[in-house]
Amino acid sequence: MAPGPWWRIGWRNLGRNRRRTLITAAGLAFGYLAVVLLVGWMEGLTAEMIESGTSTLSGQLQVHDLDYRPERKIYDTIGGRDGADVDRLLGEVAADPAIEAAAARVFGGGLVSSGEATTAGVLVGIDPARERRVSNLLRALTAGQPPEPGTNEILIGSEMARQLDVDIGDEIILVVPAADGSMGNDLYTVSGIFRSGLAELDASYAMMPIESLQTLVVLDPNRIHEIAASTVDPWLAPEAADRIRARLEPLGLGIEVEPWTRLRPEMLDYAQLAQAWNWVIIVIVFGIAIFGVLNTMLMATYERRREFAVMLALGTSPLAVARTVLAEALSLGVLSLVAGAIITFPVMIWFHNSPPDLSFLYGDYTFFGALIRPRLRVEYSLEMWLLTGIALLLTAIIASLYPAIRSARVPPADTLSGL
Amino acid sequence: MSGGRPLTVLRDINLEIEARSAVAIVGPSGSGKTTLLALLAGLDLPTAGSVTLDGQLLNDLTEDERATLRAEKVGFVFQSFQLIPTLTALENVLVPIELQARAAKHDGSEPERRARELLARVGLADREHHYPAQLSGGEQQRVGLARAFANRPKILMADEPTGNLDADTGGTVIDLMVRLNQEEGTTLLLVTHDTQLASKAHRIVRLSGGAVVEDRRVSAP
Ligand SMILES: Nc1ncnc2c1ncn2[C@@H]1O[C@H](COP(=O)(O)OP(=O)(O)OP(=O)(O)O)[C@@H](O)[C@H]1O
Ligand SMILES: [Mg+2]
Repeated sequence: MAPGPWWRIGWRNLGRNRRRTLITAAGLAFGYLAVVLLVGWMEGLTAEMIESGTSTLSGQLQVHDLDYRPERKIYDTIGGRDGADVDRLLGEVAADPAIEAAAARVFGGGLVSSGEATTAGVLVGIDPARERRVSNLLRALTAGQPPEPGTNEILIGSEMARQLDVDIGDEIILVVPAADGSMGNDLYTVSGIFRSGLAELDASYAMMPIESLQTLVVLDPNRIHEIAASTVDPWLAPEAADRIRARLEPLGLGIEVEPWTRLRPEMLDYAQLAQAWNWVIIVIVFGIAIFGVLNTMLMATYERRREFAVMLALGTSPLAVARTVLAEALSLGVLSLVAGAIITFPVMIWFHNSPPDLSFLYGDYTFFGALIRPRLRVEYSLEMWLLTGIALLLTAIIASLYPAIRSARVPPADTLSGL
Repeated sequence: MSGGRPLTVLRDINLEIEARSAVAIVGPSGSGKTTLLALLAGLDLPTAGSVTLDGQLLNDLTEDERATLRAEKVGFVFQSFQLIPTLTALENVLVPIELQARAAKHDGSEPERRARELLARVGLADREHHYPAQLSGGEQQRVGLARAFANRPKILMADEPTGNLDADTGGTVIDLMVRLNQEEGTTLLLVTHDTQLASKAHRIVRLSGGAVVEDRRVSAP
């Protein structure tokens, strides 16, 4: 289609009433900012929840014996009673491009006591050097340090320490059912105390060197319950799990490789719910904006109905007149989008890189078993920028449909009435 | 539109206008001159009766088809000039050419040259890039004339083209219009109150109360 005179007219009309154009464009631009920011904040909250929920202890991907979950029997180790080549397994898992690090774990459950006080504890045998790159618990120490491999040192939660009334250097007694049906028991020295903010962890979890726990529960060094891994991006975990499953298949160990999306389906549900909310935000913000643009376009076209009558009299088809109005609205939309992007970009960068700290309003809180920091963290995605931009342009066009139809229906004979 | 009752403005009009002739339509205010012009140009459709323009029965055409017909065959000069305020003089003259180029689906290779030439012929070669607000009434109407001839119309319709101009300026505009009309070989349909102006036509049609009361040939086309 040849560029007719109408695009020119539409564009110049935006310049004719500059203040009105700017006010309307500013409204749309702020609508854009609001949507991108609100959606970004929702995504930030979701990302925070997933990261925190998976990295506190569980990791974003886990490998177990097929029979291990959900009972978590102490003898259901990877590779069964024969165990497996743990270093090789760790190497295979870590070789996946989406995997950042992998660590082996042994679990046990029993009684933890000091003096008169006794509490139930979940014991986790870890390799501190590897564990540090998979989960955050070793970084959440309020006192002391992680247990030293080759010693009977133990790291306990702050609530457990309070209940047992113990401190760094104090001794505690563990009594644990072992894999061979006997009861293992030994004396451990508290090397550190952690506080994750999650009540369950802080009250009942304790960590010790993996060989130490294996000895206590009578498991050979090649028998572990779990390999936990961290990913470079949590959303890559499901694909990574598929690849790793295929990679470990030939070993014939009878194992499961599960991403967090299957281990914690409620977090995935929440993430998907949050995504649905993005659309609600778009519809609400631009739904309001439609009325602003409609008002502007009604005024702008009503003032010019004589001009439209001239266009029609000179032989412009009603459809072409309607197109002129839509062209003008689209020009307004593009203008607003450029302005919106210009104001949004720096705000997003700023919010993303240094999220406003709201700890003066409220402290840490937990959400779906994840610890959320009180920050306005904002995540942005190119997809969301594009979708919001399209929504803005659609808003401008939808708001102009009625003014466009009205303009096309101006009677051309009005040009002769001498007004 | 106001009121609900149908109002008969024109009745029993039977008029045939020869190609290349100049016809003046005169009559008192409210006699239906403008209404007749709107019907002849296909801006409105009659409630009864038919209008044929250059062999084409307008009653049969859709709104879009009538618009296309106007773009191709009709030129307009309005009493209140009706230039598009956001376009320069040159761009205003270009509008009908661009519309016609589209209607005819051929792209006019020389629309700008045609528009410039017309502006020169109405004596506004140096005002091409001025907006209507920067021109006097007489100058605006001369741009209006250039625009009316831009698409080489078969018929030019003018409703009180001098109604908003003083006598001298009006005279200049009329002289220009008559000259362009002869040069371009256009049929001219002119509505006017001005008897002196009407006397320049080949034929004078007088309306009163919506009916033709006089149809006089003044000179041969
Ligand atoms: N849109 C309209 N709605 C109702 N009546 C109309 C309309 N347009 C014109 N009329 C009526 O039709 C009659 C003829 O009007 P028209 O404009 O054709 O007269 P005219 O001869 O051009 O008058 P003038 O010399 O004042 O321009 C008038 O009585 C007028 O009131
Ligand atoms: Mg009239």
